[in-house]
Amino acid sequence: MKADRKYRRIARLLLISPVLLLGGCSTPHFWLIHPKGPVAGAELHFMILDVVVMLGIILPTAALLVWFLWRYRESRPRGKYDGHWASSTRIEAVMWGIPLLAVGLLSYFSFVGIHEVNPYNPGAVTADKKIGTHADPLEVDVISTDWQWVFVYPAQHIATLNRLVVPVNTPVHFRLTSATVTNSFFIPQLVGQIYAMPGMRTKQTMLVQDTGTYRGFSATLSGPGFSWMRFQTKALPSRAFDKWVAKVKGRQNDLTYAGFNRVAQPTINLNHTVKYYARVQKGLFQHVIQEVKQGKVFSTRMGMTSHM
Amino acid sequence: MLVHLQGPWSPFIGRLSLHQIPYDNPIIVGAFAFAVAVGIALFAGVTYTGSWRYLWREWLPSVDHKKIGVMYILVGLVMMFRGFIDAVMIRTQQLMAVGPQSAGHLEALHGYIPPFHFDQIYSSHGTIMLIFAATPILVGLMNIVVPLQIGARDMAYPYLNALGLWLTTAGAALVMVSLYLGEFSHDGWIGLTPLTELPYSPGVGVDYWLWAVQIGSVGTTLGAVNIIATIIKMRAPGMKWLRMPVFTWCAMATNLIVISAFPVLAGALFLLTLDRYLGTHFYTAALGGNVMLYTDLFWVWGHPEVYFLVLPAFGIMSEIIPTFSKKPLFGYTTMVLAALGISGVSWSVWLHHFFVMGAGPNVVAFFSMSSMAVGIFTGVKVFNWAFTMYRGRLRFDSPMLWAIGALSFLLIGGLTGMMLAMPPIDYQVHNSVFLIAHFHSWLMTISFAALGAITYWFPKVFGFKLDEATGKRVVWFWIAGAVLVFTPMYILGFMGMTRRLDYVAHPSWYPLLVAEQVGIGLFCVAAYYQFKQLYVSIRDRKHNRAEADAWGSTRTLEWMTHSPVPFYNFAVTPQIHARDEWAWRKERGLTNLMPDRFQDIHMPKDTYVPAVLGALAFVFGFGMVWRIWWLGALALLAIIGVVIWRSFHRDTGYVIPADEVERMERGYLEHAPEGATEEVPVGEPAPGVLASSQAPSRQGAGS
Repeated sequence: MKADRKYRRIARLLLISPVLLLGGCSTPHFWLIHPKGPVAGAELHFMILDVVVMLGIILPTAALLVWFLWRYRESRPRGKYDGHWASSTRIEAVMWGIPLLAVGLLSYFSFVGIHEVNPYNPGAVTADKKIGTHADPLEVDVISTDWQWVFVYPAQHIATLNRLVVPVNTPVHFRLTSATVTNSFFIPQLVGQIYAMPGMRTKQTMLVQDTGTYRGFSATLSGPGFSWMRFQTKALPSRAFDKWVAKVKGRQNDLTYAGFNRVAQPTINLNHTVKYYARVQKGLFQHVIQEVKQGKVFSTRMGMTSHM
Repeated sequence: MLVHLQGPWSPFIGRLSLHQIPYDNPIIVGAFAFAVAVGIALFAGVTYTGSWRYLWREWLPSVDHKKIGVMYILVGLVMMFRGFIDAVMIRTQQLMAVGPQSAGHLEALHGYIPPFHFDQIYSSHGTIMLIFAATPILVGLMNIVVPLQIGARDMAYPYLNALGLWLTTAGAALVMVSLYLGEFSHDGWIGLTPLTELPYSPGVGVDYWLWAVQIGSVGTTLGAVNIIATIIKMRAPGMKWLRMPVFTWCAMATNLIVISAFPVLAGALFLLTLDRYLGTHFYTAALGGNVMLYTDLFWVWGHPEVYFLVLPAFGIMSEIIPTFSKKPLFGYTTMVLAALGISGVSWSVWLHHFFVMGAGPNVVAFFSMSSMAVGIFTGVKVFNWAFTMYRGRLRFDSPMLWAIGALSFLLIGGLTGMMLAMPPIDYQVHNSVFLIAHFHSWLMTISFAALGAITYWFPKVFGFKLDEATGKRVVWFWIAGAVLVFTPMYILGFMGMTRRLDYVAHPSWYPLLVAEQVGIGLFCVAAYYQFKQLYVSIRDRKHNRAEADAWGSTRTLEWMTHSPVPFYNFAVTPQIHARDEWAWRKERGLTNLMPDRFQDIHMPKDTYVPAVLGALAFVFGFGMVWRIWWLGALALLAIIGVVIWRSFHRDTGYVIPADEVERMERGYLEHAPEGATEEVPVGEPAPGVLASSQAPSRQGAGS
């Protein structure tokens, strides 16, 4: 009896455990369910739709399975036995019908969704009237190196290393490339991933709704420094952003083509180095693409991490 | 030299040097000591039991599909153990390297493995588990079961079959050697370009990966050709297409994938080889190369490869569930269609592995929808299994438990798969640990099915059952471990944790990493019981002798011959009357295993040539990895020479006279466990329904 009660208590705990666990989701650590921009918001929206539709099928199926397993067990059978029953047109029609319908519905969501979050022209940013921003978009060129991030602001003629600073409620248009190998540019709370590839240019668009600091990182393995290839994204009010630009311009250091080649030497960013450049040599982004296309590589030394 | 190599090279030993032996790394030295200890133990064991001659003469040159299957599975299990130790190391490193304050040991800044070494560990984990563990185990199972299920004596090409085995083994051996000599690839099992190009991966690691996978996949491709030919040409009389067991159908579907997809892998790897060896620019960013080309080519193979693994698993579940439900499989035709559907769709989904590469929305949408279509076929299969249990009588022997575990993980993997198929979600979880948890859910399905299959068909091959009590412990610890490892991993995905991190920056992830560590601990317990099960089963084999119909409610042809199966499989090629032939015969009381008439049997001769070719392939791979050109060239010439020499062998088979077959059959019946068959009055054969194609058993065969 006592043991019985104990099991019941455990069972009860197990039953409420999902609720307890869900409580954990309210902490800000769950980046994917705390979006701070319309693109990441749309991505969460479609995730919820997908999960609801799928659970609508999978939960009943699982229940059915468990029920069959219990009802037809040989040790204490309840249902009748029919050792020959092996087909039923009606059941099979339902069997094909349910997944067909579900996949049809999800395909529709998928089609709508991809246009909402399309990196090149996300409906969530461009078509959403609610956001109603009239600010001119900010252009940012992203260059990944081994293993750091260079952000160039061509209109402001400034650049940063391992720190992205953007104004809120302003569309940000990224152009991305890589000086070496492929990386995936990702700021979970703001925008989904896009590859930055050597010798090529991809695009991404985002908009930040709340001021704050957000984590960004490379989400695709790019070599031994990959785990440290992280950057903070600071979203400032527009005026504060302008002030920040002016402050950076007041500094002394430049980022020339030659300077970039030094920055792009393989570096594991162990100390979370952040740098700001007051001036950038014009056309750096295009220059990097051209150089890479013509054979420029920043080689990795053999065993460079074996005594780090 | 057409390319710039870092480090020394000499014409005699290529890039080899004493520095390449990582004797200063205590982990690798420990692994080496362990391997040596196991090696000595094995050597001593074989010597003590005096089995060298037996192994040398009965196994090494064997072309018997069952022995080859067993060797495939052994190679797979050994590699699986290695891959599992990699997994334990990955988990431990991530647990130890959380936050900037975490301590560093053994040259690592955080944790105990520095990045280059850590990258090698997960790259070898992936390569091994998929290509040298799951693949050989499933190929081995198909090797054993398919000819039996269709009533064949052996594969269509027994010699080719052995060649496939030894090439796979050569590939696996190259991976193992990389542990103690040089390094393995640190660019993931998928070999991300341009990371795998010489400037970014200057060592021999990528070369090991290239040649190991290349040689291993040649073996797999040859195996596929063989299985397809066997299924098409070697079916017993009366076995029409729609009478074939579902496992055989799945083997057919899965090997159609292999012969169409593996050549793409061979091509993709070959171009990368040219880049690394001849300085071409197929996948470089520069000089007209295209980084994306490799990604496309790799996944044109890579995604079908996933279905190549999962379809046999579906086939296995479709055999186990009916047996332990005492019912035929529900919706046979639907099941066959779904299997072929999956293999058909598998060629049109590859782009979903890189939605984030920046293709236009309509391209992405097409691949999203085609990926979801896989869910239709899989969903149908789940319903089919459910309704197979409906109105059945379910017994929960360990194969059934494995199948139910597989089914549970399939539901989870299916749910998360439908999430990943949707680009807006994929943009957030691509390459995250959520993705890792997703495909490991599927790999759990595959490994549960594979282990279930090993338990299920073990008595057929060895004549005794695996120990049930320890077997059930393996199941439960494995399931508990999987739940505890992969649930936190899914949650961590929502927290934004990406894959392949050897340093974990966020301390808030720590508790979940601890949970994963407990899970991997449970896996270790499962592994312990796995070894114990093998030991106990062999020790108590006399008590666990299996009859022909080892589980009492089996349905398909393979259960109609003795356990263990004689090397000629069936004394007389059976005539097939129904879909579940054995169940059909049992219902009619036609269970006598003694044929009324014996015939001469033509069997293939054993040959050492495949093993020699495998050894030469290993030497060739080794020579190419280290750029010892003379060694590679010699080995290649020797391979070509041996193949040509062998092609002149005309006398590759022999005949077992009918008397001899009869004598052996009587021997089997005398030694069969009690109750295995009905009493057979000696000298007066009972009406031999089992038997020959001309047997008088046609009554009622019209249906």
